[in-house]
Amino acid sequence: MKKIAKMVCILVVSLVPTLGHGAFQAIGIIKSVEGEVYLISSSTEIQAVSNMKLISGDNIITGNDGSVGLIFKDDTVVSLGPNSQIEVQDFVFNPAEEKLSFAARLVRGTFSFITGQIAKLAPKKVKLTTPDATLGVRGTKFVVEVK
Amino acid sequence: MNRSLRVLSFLILSSIVTVLTYSGCSKTTVVLLKDPEGKVGHLVVENEAGSVDITKENEATTIAGATSKPAAPKRYSEDKISSQFGEALNMLPTQPKHFILYFKSGSTELTDSSKAQIPDILKTIELRSSEDISVVGHTDTAGNSAYNMRLSQRRASVVRKLLIGEGVRADHIQSTSHGEANPLVKTADNVNEPKNRRVEVVVR
Repeated sequence: MKKIAKMVCILVVSLVPTLGHGAFQAIGIIKSVEGEVYLISSSTEIQAVSNMKLISGDNIITGNDGSVGLIFKDDTVVSLGPNSQIEVQDFVFNPAEEKLSFAARLVRGTFSFITGQIAKLAPKKVKLTTPDATLGVRGTKFVVEVK
Repeated sequence: MNRSLRVLSFLILSSIVTVLTYSGCSKTTVVLLKDPEGKVGHLVVENEAGSVDITKENEATTIAGATSKPAAPKRYSEDKISSQFGEALNMLPTQPKHFILYFKSGSTELTDSSKAQIPDILKTIELRSSEDISVVGHTDTAGNSAYNMRLSQRRASVVRKLLIGEGVRADHIQSTSHGEANPLVKTADNVNEPKNRRVEVVVR
């Protein structure tokens, strides 16, 4: 069993694109944008457009007519419907050193998810919280509404 | 009533109000869906009042505030899911696609079957309008690690150039190399293993 887990690790490691090290390592991208969408990164709010890079700590907010799709480095995909906000508190994907973490706050609105490698390798490292509850995620596709 | 008692009763009262407001205003709904591979996962929804497992397709729970127990699982209809979550679901990106290209021993020449995969990669990039493509080079453990690091760099570079030659923009490709450090099939040192002589291409 341990051997299998190790093999999976190795497989995943080899899939990880290595970016520069440091605090501002990209953890994913904004893949698609419709309507009003804002990215709050390092306390600066900007209008989001496709292919912007995301870093840990970013907030993504959609307006009345807004929706947005995100792709994270571990293959997790996330989308937000209108009037929604997500805060990506922490995202680390470094299977070689067994450093994995995906913590996000679903502040309000509607969300859909398909989880990726982190949920597969270390489900306990995925922590999604809403004002009402925390979600333990053992995969894979689900939707959440926070009113 | 003395002063400290008054402060205490104010604190208690205000925290009750806060709790009531909080639980009255906020509500979370979670619905488990079938994933693109046809599998249904597993979610555990919990707070201080309790915990609920949802394990079946279209099964949902609602939580009416941080201090109320998640409701027993209930099945949602497809109609209800699409009216409540349709806008979000429509924007959900396709998951990244991974390709593995293999090389002939000790060389930067792709195997014939891997060459044949290049059109697929290009088509995927085009279909997804991808501007985020990773190219990661690897080797087997035959030869020393410094040699293999250089070989994996050359392999990644060959694939990168091949994609650029087919019209992919250079600034859309990040290439890296891992030498012999991340084999797909774990072997002893100095083992010729075709599955480890590879470049992985990820299209996002």
